[in-house]
Amino acid sequence: MKSALTEACTIRLQNFEGPFDLLFFLIEKNQIDIYDIPILEITEQYLDYLSAMQEMDLEIASEFLVMAATLLHIKSRMLLPSKEVAPDEEEDPREALILKLVEYKKYKEFSSVLKDREQKWERVHYKLPEVLPVLPCEDELEVSPIILHQCMRDLLQRYKQKMNDVSKKMQRILNHEKVSLKAKIHELLGFLTKGVKVCFSKLFKRRSRLEVATGFLAALEIAKIGRATLEQPTDFGEIYIIPKTKDEVALAEEEGELF
Amino acid sequence: MSTLDNIEGIIEAVLFASGDPVPLDKLSEIIGHDRKTTRGLLTGLIQKYEHSPRGIMLRELDGSYQLCTKPEMDEFIARLGTIRKKQGLSPAAYETLSIIAYNQPATKAYIEQIRGVSSDGVISTLMERNLIREAGRDDAPGKPKLYETTEEFLRVFGFSSLRDLPVLEMNEVKEVMENIPLD
Repeated sequence: MKSALTEACTIRLQNFEGPFDLLFFLIEKNQIDIYDIPILEITEQYLDYLSAMQEMDLEIASEFLVMAATLLHIKSRMLLPSKEVAPDEEEDPREALILKLVEYKKYKEFSSVLKDREQKWERVHYKLPEVLPVLPCEDELEVSPIILHQCMRDLLQRYKQKMNDVSKKMQRILNHEKVSLKAKIHELLGFLTKGVKVCFSKLFKRRSRLEVATGFLAALEIAKIGRATLEQPTDFGEIYIIPKTKDEVALAEEEGELF
Repeated sequence: MSTLDNIEGIIEAVLFASGDPVPLDKLSEIIGHDRKTTRGLLTGLIQKYEHSPRGIMLRELDGSYQLCTKPEMDEFIARLGTIRKKQGLSPAAYETLSIIAYNQPATKAYIEQIRGVSSDGVISTLMERNLIREAGRDDAPGKPKLYETTEEFLRVFGFSSLRDLPVLEMNEVKEVMENIPLD
């Protein structure tokens, strides 16, 4: 058997889907019976392949390393004589791996079946549905003209009322309220230059919900940049915005530069 | 009313006009025969199309029927200059699709366990191509999403239904599995 390393450099480096794909490739390349894998050689080749990948600066997914560990573990178990168990009762350490490989093989084989079928069936063409002027069939109704007439009048009446209703509501079009966070920050900073403690609720009395929410965000932002501290003595209680003195602000800015 | 003589013509006309697959129930309603008779007629018709030198064939698609062109006519249709080939799927996508097809509904964890690699990307590709869809959640810890194949899957790969999938020789694996004591 040639070393997988030299082989990897001569053949086009295949892109493997995963550790099973690589193992599978090695098994097929060496024409090994999947149920009787020579674990020593395969492990060696597998590891060679990983180092070849490393040399070529390919990133090795962690799954490949897990498989390498599994192979080495199996190898070590096969090398060590087990105690107390009769040799014929001994469980083959390769068993779990083989089962997984066999299962993987089935799906891999079916993959190529799918590919072939796709190639055949993509050559089949369909026709778009015909646009037919068909109305859904309905049962005929037997209604007297008087009732129909009454219905129509009712309907017109209701329609008229409804129209009136809506037109009353449609007297003015509400403008979309524009509140920007930036503007609110400036507004708050304006208050803070006075150097006094401000009550959040008083500041935003009789303002829209959107303004209150944006104002709150602005307060948080100001606290973050170190221009003020926020205090809320009780849960759900009043929030106070306390401006920082100029020295404190300068200090905060210096610290800010460090980050 | 329809007689047996013109019944195939009726089916043909209806399927041609529809374009989309027409369910068996709808067809049996249209021709006024029971499901069993209709299915027999359709199966016969599929055979007839296959053995006649026409360019059209009939295919079953998950209990519905649809007319389409025969694959060998493709090269001539291509001369119309209108065919654009879809981009093929990656090997990983075929692999994942195979696993889902035989184990649906399947969780991502199950797929990854068989493939030995993470499969997020492949699953979203298959979802985009409408080859698989979500099929609820498994009643397991974390309530993982389940995936199953779609009608598009049957169409693209030329299966008439999921029962049409070839039998994989998984039995030997299961037998071996059963004989192994769990540790």
